[in-house]
Amino acid sequence: MSYFDLLRLAWPEASIVLTALVVLAIGLTNRGTRPAITLLAMVGIALAIKNVLRLPHDAILFNGMLVISPLTSLFKIVSLALAFFTVALAQSESSLRHYAEYIAILLLACVGLMLLVGSEELLTIFIGLELLGLSLYVLTAFDKIDIYSAEAGLKYFLFGSTASAFTLFGISLVYGMAGSTSLAVLAQKLSVTNAQPLLAAGIVMTLIGFAFKIAAAPFHLWAPDVYQGAPIPSAAFIASGSKVASFVVLGKILLVGFDSARGSSDWHAMIAGWSPIISLLAAMSILLGNFVALAQTNVRRLLAYSAVAHGGYTLLGLLAGDRDGFSATLFYTTIYALTLLGAFGVIALVRRETGGDDLQNFAGLGQRSPLLAVCMSIFLLSLAGLPPLAGFFGKFYLFSSAFRAGANHGLLWLVALALFGSLISLYYYLIVLKVIFLDERSTTATAPAARPMLVEVATGVLAALVLLFGVDPSGLVARIVAALA
Amino acid sequence: MQLFLFWCAALLMLVFGVAVILNRNPVASALSLVVSFLGLATLFMMLDAYFIGIIQVLVYAGAVMVLFLFIIMLLDLRAENLRKINWPATAGGAVVAFVFLIQVLSVIGRLTDAKKTFPPLARSTIDDVRNVGVTLFTNFNFPFQVIGVLVLVATIGVVVLSKRELANK
Amino acid sequence: MITLGNYLTVSAMLFTIGFAGVMLRRNIVIILMSLELMLNAANLSLVAFSRFHVDLRTSLPNYNAQVFVFFIITVAAAEVAVGLALIVALYRARRTTHVEDLTTLKF
Repeated sequence: MSYFDLLRLAWPEASIVLTALVVLAIGLTNRGTRPAITLLAMVGIALAIKNVLRLPHDAILFNGMLVISPLTSLFKIVSLALAFFTVALAQSESSLRHYAEYIAILLLACVGLMLLVGSEELLTIFIGLELLGLSLYVLTAFDKIDIYSAEAGLKYFLFGSTASAFTLFGISLVYGMAGSTSLAVLAQKLSVTNAQPLLAAGIVMTLIGFAFKIAAAPFHLWAPDVYQGAPIPSAAFIASGSKVASFVVLGKILLVGFDSARGSSDWHAMIAGWSPIISLLAAMSILLGNFVALAQTNVRRLLAYSAVAHGGYTLLGLLAGDRDGFSATLFYTTIYALTLLGAFGVIALVRRETGGDDLQNFAGLGQRSPLLAVCMSIFLLSLAGLPPLAGFFGKFYLFSSAFRAGANHGLLWLVALALFGSLISLYYYLIVLKVIFLDERSTTATAPAARPMLVEVATGVLAALVLLFGVDPSGLVARIVAALA
Repeated sequence: MQLFLFWCAALLMLVFGVAVILNRNPVASALSLVVSFLGLATLFMMLDAYFIGIIQVLVYAGAVMVLFLFIIMLLDLRAENLRKINWPATAGGAVVAFVFLIQVLSVIGRLTDAKKTFPPLARSTIDDVRNVGVTLFTNFNFPFQVIGVLVLVATIGVVVLSKRELANK
Repeated sequence: MITLGNYLTVSAMLFTIGFAGVMLRRNIVIILMSLELMLNAANLSLVAFSRFHVDLRTSLPNYNAQVFVFFIITVAAAEVAVGLALIVALYRARRTTHVEDLTTLKF
């Protein structure tokens, strides 16, 4: 394997790193104005998407450290697209004083996402997790003069590094028992030898790190603080990009690497394995996320608790365990990421005008700017899962795949729980909408300064996408299913 | 003799590891951390991983401890004055840790390989720098490049975060 | 003789000490040190497995695990640096290094 071949196959990642370096360099000169940097980053991301499209159809490097397949290419594009929209949100964020550095770290975090998505080997996955984690800690604490931001960053760091220490210890045990870190070899070894308890312990500990990344209860404690305290683009990226990549990797680890240690979480036949553990996480996340969200008065915090619940729903697809289930998980998490990015875009605009993101800051938004209010309704109703929005189809696909999986509808208990959770969630999403459309504005908003065009356009595009994928999901679903084949 | 050395190193590591978390004074904790890692490096060497052992000493005694001491001095952290200890939380944490340890140890006890000794090596691995290097630059070339990106992120992040800003918000 | 189990036991103990430190201590600098203990416990078990899975062909230890440890040491050092920078940033904003004082963001 020459360097040239490596560079050819890792060119999308490499080109993003190059873009980040150029952004850093430009930021040092006095030409580094915000629009220039934003434009550069966007062009870089667009070129990287083009590079992904030009990758070969299938390739495996170094025992799966870098895997190129339709699935990884598709999700590299999704990661890049999410980074693209995040850059658009960041452009008008006045609290970021080192803008070039911010964009550079955002781009490098995106490299972390692409590595996570495009690897089937535990060491590279671990390094990708750490690359992503370290970038996100910095992005969270970036507005360090703000005490909320600094505190959120530190909390994220403490929880995150503890979780990654557990993952690492788990990986070391898995490696020791199977003698390899490549998921394919692992799957092969696991299917022939009978499972040692130490291996099971290793698997459980490995999963903790991912449960943390997707904010599944009880590993969700960081999420509300980070969603509320971090600068808005960082929070949006954590809620979207980090989550999508984590679900892709988690799916690959569970369904490829540890497939033969699955067990069963059917209500009539629980068998030890990872499946009962994941189902427990899912159930706790759905209940805790939805009930605590009811009590929130800050919109970002509310979205955080609802994110915990959505993480729980998304796990249903992995529990179903077949190709249908995995594609439902991937579809739902993609849709969810787009929706949350859009919602954070609206929050950014509201915060700019009213100086806060509590529920009362949204009062009267319907009169002030009807278009923005409509966008927010699209996002929230999609999260609640109402037709004809994308969230409805996503949930339908997820729940039906979980319902059909296993003998005798074994996952029925979880599906019922998830439906119940969705019902509760409808209530708190409607409260936000009620405040937006019916409540009178209580505070006098500062004179609406010129709205940042880029954020408005990005939010509008995202709302259109959510609507489009709701009306016609077949395009994306077909692509995901084909990629999994 | 081997076994005696093993337990000496292991006890050194564990006792000073406990000292890290029990000391009230951060400086004492940092120094205990280094002694604990010296014990760990000894264990690495007993496992014929000389390069890793040396790296462990260099990185931790040479870099990480200096970093810790620097921050402790920079922020002028003194020994903590006795805060009121939250006994239920402390007891809960201790119980969780204890249960965790018992679980893992029992799982290790049920491992069939755990009773086996290490197979002999054909020749000494005292020159294992070369072997590690060859592995690093062939099979692990890709993650090695990625580590470079990770260190870049850490560098930018640290500079941005610890730069002093004029608070004129 | 020393068995694989000995090393794994010691490694699990070190991990637990670190974990206990993370849970029990309230000083963030010391929590960071405890995290280092946890990461290095993983290193110990990796090196033990590296020595245990001797390559039958060359009769040398499995160097993949040692390279793995090399990477982990690098990552751990980067993590310490970022963690300490976060502590400095927090200290400038809040004058504290205690987790109990991190209560601005709450429920």
